[in-house]
Amino acid sequence: MENRSDPSSETAPVGLSLHLDHEVLSELGSDFFPESKFHLVPLQDASYALLKKGDRLWVNYPDGEYCDFPFYRKNIALVLNGLLKLPKISRQTDEPFDSLIRSTQSIEKRVFSAATPGRHTKDLWDEIIRKINTLSQESHSLRDLTEKLLDVPFLQNFETSLIVLHLKGQTKAEILGSLWRSEKFQSFAEVKEFNSFFNSVKKSKIKSFTTEVFPKLNLPFNGSFLAKEVVSRKYTLVALASRHDFLSFGREEIELFETCIDLLQPHFERLIDQEFSDKRISELRICLKDFPLPLRIRNHVTGTSFQNDLMKGELQEQDIFFTKKVMGPFTLDLYDSDELRHYAFDLFHFQRISLLGELLNTLRHELSNPLFGLMLGSQMFRTLDVATDNKDLMKEIEKNVARCQVIIENFSNLYQIQNEPRPVHLKKIIDESLVLAKSEGREMRKKVIYEGDTESLELSVPLIFVVQILFNLIVNAAQALREAMVTGGELTIRIAREEKNIAIHVCDNGPGIPSEKAVQLFKPFFTTKASGTGLGLVLSRNLALKMGGNLEYMSDTELKGAHFCITLPVT
Amino acid sequence: MKKIFIIEDEILIQQSLKKLFERRGFLVDVSASGKLAIDMILANDYDRIVCDLMLQDISGFDVIEESKKKFSAQDISKKFVIMTAYNSPQVLSRANAYQCRLLNKPFEDLEEAMRVMTESV
Repeated sequence: MENRSDPSSETAPVGLSLHLDHEVLSELGSDFFPESKFHLVPLQDASYALLKKGDRLWVNYPDGEYCDFPFYRKNIALVLNGLLKLPKISRQTDEPFDSLIRSTQSIEKRVFSAATPGRHTKDLWDEIIRKINTLSQESHSLRDLTEKLLDVPFLQNFETSLIVLHLKGQTKAEILGSLWRSEKFQSFAEVKEFNSFFNSVKKSKIKSFTTEVFPKLNLPFNGSFLAKEVVSRKYTLVALASRHDFLSFGREEIELFETCIDLLQPHFERLIDQEFSDKRISELRICLKDFPLPLRIRNHVTGTSFQNDLMKGELQEQDIFFTKKVMGPFTLDLYDSDELRHYAFDLFHFQRISLLGELLNTLRHELSNPLFGLMLGSQMFRTLDVATDNKDLMKEIEKNVARCQVIIENFSNLYQIQNEPRPVHLKKIIDESLVLAKSEGREMRKKVIYEGDTESLELSVPLIFVVQILFNLIVNAAQALREAMVTGGELTIRIAREEKNIAIHVCDNGPGIPSEKAVQLFKPFFTTKASGTGLGLVLSRNLALKMGGNLEYMSDTELKGAHFCITLPVT
Repeated sequence: MKKIFIIEDEILIQQSLKKLFERRGFLVDVSASGKLAIDMILANDYDRIVCDLMLQDISGFDVIEESKKKFSAQDISKKFVIMTAYNSPQVLSRANAYQCRLLNKPFEDLEEAMRVMTESV
């Protein structure tokens, strides 16, 4: 279609004064530059100058800044078009050349706003080092430092700076920094990906990469970037910077970037150290804050203390029941509380049970083969033609071996922690407990009275819990009788049905418990025995409560000995 | 006379079984060591090999593996009787892979165990 636009509306000739290097002119010919638009003038009078240096085209601007491009006909045409779009001479010296750059987007560009060869290299270096020193002092975190990296003079045209950090022993590498100079960024990468990335960077001489080479690293931008690795005892990291384009980097830029990151290494080190010790402390604080027991940590040197959320109000010194010097000037105080009883004793009990379970299991395995050998040997002899009385003896040996096998089997089953209690005969519970306490209680007579139909009752409770309580009570009774040197010591276990409960009364005919001590019976660490822990009864009551029952000391009894009562729900 | 080989490191079990087999008219060799047992299997022709799994030096499975030098898989399934006190699923599945007879220790019934150990010899 013919151009019918009104000639009067056309942009008036700009007539920019332009100096052309004779090399440019000879290569392109003077008709390439329409005289209506450009005044070709000597260098000193020109606003703009186009020079050819090797295979590059240099454009000098009035303020002394410059651009350079590969020397192509097309590029020169684009540059000239770009220049025409600028208002004549009205450019402020501090105005960036964005418009020009935008208008020549497809041109390979290299913009050094500060690192111009026109300046003295020494000045530039002084400036870079000064900048690095100030920004590393101003940075209070790794992220801070990474973001401020872009303030270093020669990086002022870069848009993004990131570090990819891998702390030794961590399962992920962290990517952090800022995008487009403003957007904060954080993500994680697999260690495998990080390692291959790190090795590529380390091996590379030109330190220049493009994002598409590392697709699995998921870098948050596209284009080419500079990268430099840092190795330390505790971490490895790669610092990278990009202009978000696909242009290659100049040798000077690469050198500057490498040196810059090298200069920053001690600051990376310091910030990483600080950050991760902060992180550890804050994690520790969270742990202590949510620790399920009321606790306080005192610092003797500073006189300060930390207490966690479960410490409600002012607690008295007498409520402390556990104090331990921990690290350095710190002392840990645990306070007596329901939580403490609940958690600590559960834990204590669980540990004891599982340890016993393990021991018994090992014992069962270890005993199983020798017992089987005894059984087999005896059976073998019995089938020989031996006298009848010897055969009976052999049978007796076999019976005993079988009993050993059953006992060890039962014990190890008993101590297996079961999640789902199965219904179990009350009589079995009582019998197991008596067998278990047999050696402790061998000096006293034992009497079991089942009232009503209680002997055939089944309870849906964890067998081991009830056995544990009964065992504790039986052993306590036996020890009390021995200590009081009671002759004819007797233990009575009486089982009675109450409405919805079953009551197991455990009584001895010893000296009983004086009322002033009886009130303290269920207090942790209260003991009348020389080697007692003071936990047996607390633990037992706790177990009973857990099963929906209770354990109480019956002080209003007419019996003179100690009388405990376990109540358990009947389902 | 048929030859039975007993590999068992609990001497009381080993000797009792030996006597029981001898009384039933078998020729019996014994070994408490798995390594020695391998040599004996390769050097002799046994009609039945009764092998415990938990030996002091190597496992009964190792003995079976080594005897593959001499026996086909079918021979192994017929010749070996495995005895074990640890019937975990892993042990059971491995023993089943050999398709040989399996006896749990202790024996619930001696007569039944003797029958399994001597059947089709």
